[in-house]
Amino acid sequence: MRAINVSSVLRELYARRTTALGTTIFLLFLFVAMFAPLFAPYGLNEQIYSDARQAPSTAHWFGTDQLGRDVFSRVLLGAKDILTLAGLGTALAVASGTLFGLAAGYWGGTFDEILMRIFDGLLAIPALLLALLLLGTLGASRNSILIVIVLLYTPIVARVVRSVVLGVRSKGFVEAARLQGEPTGRILFREILPSVVPTLTVEAALRFSYAIFLVASLGFLGVGVQPPSPNWGLMVNEARPHVSQLPWTMYYPAGAIAIVVIGVNLMADGIKRIVRT
Amino acid sequence: MSLLGTTFHDKRFGLAVIISLLLGLAACGGGGPAQQMTNTPSGNESAEIQTGAEEASETQSGRGGTLRVAMQPVVNIDPIAISSDSEVLVANHVYDYLIDIDHLSNPVPRLATGWDISDDGLTYTLPLAEDVTWHDGSEFSAADVVWTFERLRTTEGAPTFDLYSNIASIEATGDLEVTFKLTKPNPFFLYDLSDNHALILKAGTTDADTNFNGTGPFVVTNYRPEERIEMVANENYFIPEQPKLSGLQIIFFNDDTVAVEALRGGQIDFTMRMSVALFESLKEEPGIITMDIPTNGFDLIRLRSDRAPGNDPRVIQALKLATDREAIFNVVQQGYGALGNDSPIGPLYDAYHDETAIPPARDVEAARALLADAGYGDGLKITLHTPDTGNRPDLAAVLKEQWSEVGVDVEISVEPESVYYADDGWLEVDLGITGWGSRPYPQFYLDVMLVSDAIWNESHFSDEEFDSLAAVAGTTLDEKERIQAYADIQHLLIERGPIIIPYYFAQFGAINDQFQGLNLKAFAGRTDFRTVTFSGN
Repeated sequence: MRAINVSSVLRELYARRTTALGTTIFLLFLFVAMFAPLFAPYGLNEQIYSDARQAPSTAHWFGTDQLGRDVFSRVLLGAKDILTLAGLGTALAVASGTLFGLAAGYWGGTFDEILMRIFDGLLAIPALLLALLLLGTLGASRNSILIVIVLLYTPIVARVVRSVVLGVRSKGFVEAARLQGEPTGRILFREILPSVVPTLTVEAALRFSYAIFLVASLGFLGVGVQPPSPNWGLMVNEARPHVSQLPWTMYYPAGAIAIVVIGVNLMADGIKRIVRT
Repeated sequence: MSLLGTTFHDKRFGLAVIISLLLGLAACGGGGPAQQMTNTPSGNESAEIQTGAEEASETQSGRGGTLRVAMQPVVNIDPIAISSDSEVLVANHVYDYLIDIDHLSNPVPRLATGWDISDDGLTYTLPLAEDVTWHDGSEFSAADVVWTFERLRTTEGAPTFDLYSNIASIEATGDLEVTFKLTKPNPFFLYDLSDNHALILKAGTTDADTNFNGTGPFVVTNYRPEERIEMVANENYFIPEQPKLSGLQIIFFNDDTVAVEALRGGQIDFTMRMSVALFESLKEEPGIITMDIPTNGFDLIRLRSDRAPGNDPRVIQALKLATDREAIFNVVQQGYGALGNDSPIGPLYDAYHDETAIPPARDVEAARALLADAGYGDGLKITLHTPDTGNRPDLAAVLKEQWSEVGVDVEISVEPESVYYADDGWLEVDLGITGWGSRPYPQFYLDVMLVSDAIWNESHFSDEEFDSLAAVAGTTLDEKERIQAYADIQHLLIERGPIIIPYYFAQFGAINDQFQGLNLKAFAGRTDFRTVTFSGN
């Protein structure tokens, strides 16, 4: 299996226009998430009463909200919240999904059967409903949102990984490793995992875009985040009563959600193409 | 196998698109649910009722039109158990009060045609209106009034049990006359007689929680829990030519934003109780008349004073000094209502309100010093609980910012109203924002919110001087003495009350311009549709 080289991957991503666009968007948001506190013109809850309710201008690029907070700064500072929650959640879900998928695919049998039925059960419940149920039970906090993402996406990742493992399991090199008496852990992670990685990368990118959407949706519903957090979903919710008068307080955070989700999706699409070729 | 994964992803993506569309719809104010309302089967039925009412209106001069009012769903319909605005609004149109409160907060006759108070302030004699009949056709008499008040004052656990504990006896002193005797003078007894629960029921009624048999201006024809209540004009109402509408519908909405959209879309005609932002958004709307009136209601920021950190008066003082009430009033209320002075005795109470009682101006340095003295020099971390209704989340966000400048780190916990009030949690938390509705006289707030043994003493305030001042104000028949006691109370609360009242809010309403003659009331539920007329077609 070929090794993964970051610069070659980037080169391939930038070979197609749409993928290049998606990747650029993603990297831009990533940059904002990491460094926004350094260049955001105002604090996330900084209120300049005399500037309240102003339309976008050179002083406030995205305008100000009803409390005189700079929407541009809040949108910038909100990137970190959503991208870290979604990123961390996705990483954990991919890790646990991979473990379950490898195990289920490799051993098969009753273990596989039981695990898959449990996952089927989880998948049968609509994502947002399950999220609300879990948050209602666990109590709404950032940690519970992480748990929710992991519980929602582990089954999906596990199924994808398992399907690849099933295809690889009977291949010659795996058989050879087994006959050589290699320990199971080594077979799973050294022999099988590399075959899973390309599919897994696509899956992780897709999961990431859904996770962003989920975190924003939960923020919109007001669970797990508290004001004055600049979570984009919460910002959209808070802008709801003001939409006819201060429409910019809704458009910019909503636009940010849309753009980052589209960007990550385009990038995932590109990764899929690269992996398939 | 990977194909399976792909189709699955595509479905998921479709779901995401649907959710995003839903999100967008909800974000636009939820035209969806309001639209559904007209598609429900009852749409036809209500049209029938409207037609029936219009036929009737041909025989009665000038009566016409059905007013559709958006309100929160009703839970209790028995007057003894009602509390929310919508419950009171429904009951107020099915039943009658003995004495009503007009939109200027004055007691006015309703079923009682007047009142006579003895010189010692202990005996109230009320003559009753003639030709009053119940919706079931039977005749109304003083016995019904006696029965109703006996029920209100003897039912344990009822909100009126304490309120009427001062009544020594209630007697029918004539077919159409009742006499109340008190154990001690109560200068506010006429207001107490107009308590939200004091709607007159027919003697012996046992099914008030499932049935509507009142003397009131409207007769219920259809009640669908969680959906709507439909009423038609009471043709035998004892006040001639009232009501002027031929029908009234209370349609239940859980979300103010949705109710406002329904008003815009013409699915309802009138709505109240909305945030400043929603109200502002209706002002330019053609065909809709907006109205706002100042009220005595307020948002109360209160700190528990019986345990740390609130048991240190310096902390209370520091928070008061850290608060910029004027900025809050201007930014959160956009100047609607009135500026607060940390006491529940607002400017609408005229003589009772002391204009010289003004909290000290914001002083960040002094507040920091007080906190340092109290041992919080390194900062004070505290959670601020608030319901998600009205402008309270905005108020919380502003407080967080203002208080952060003196080293108080506020963590906001916005909760649905039902959670905030559940299991008396609002009485337990250290720091909270509670909305208090408007009342026609200030003694109510002191008695239930601030005296040591008050049932809703959420700040756990206990101050001997305050208690005795409140007792004087609530019993003296000397108006001057009462005015002085209220003035002292306002200064005392500014100095050491564990409460901040940054503003008194305004009551908002918006009505389709085909209807005229509506007077908003400070307590939204007591808004009265008897004199509303319809000029449309």
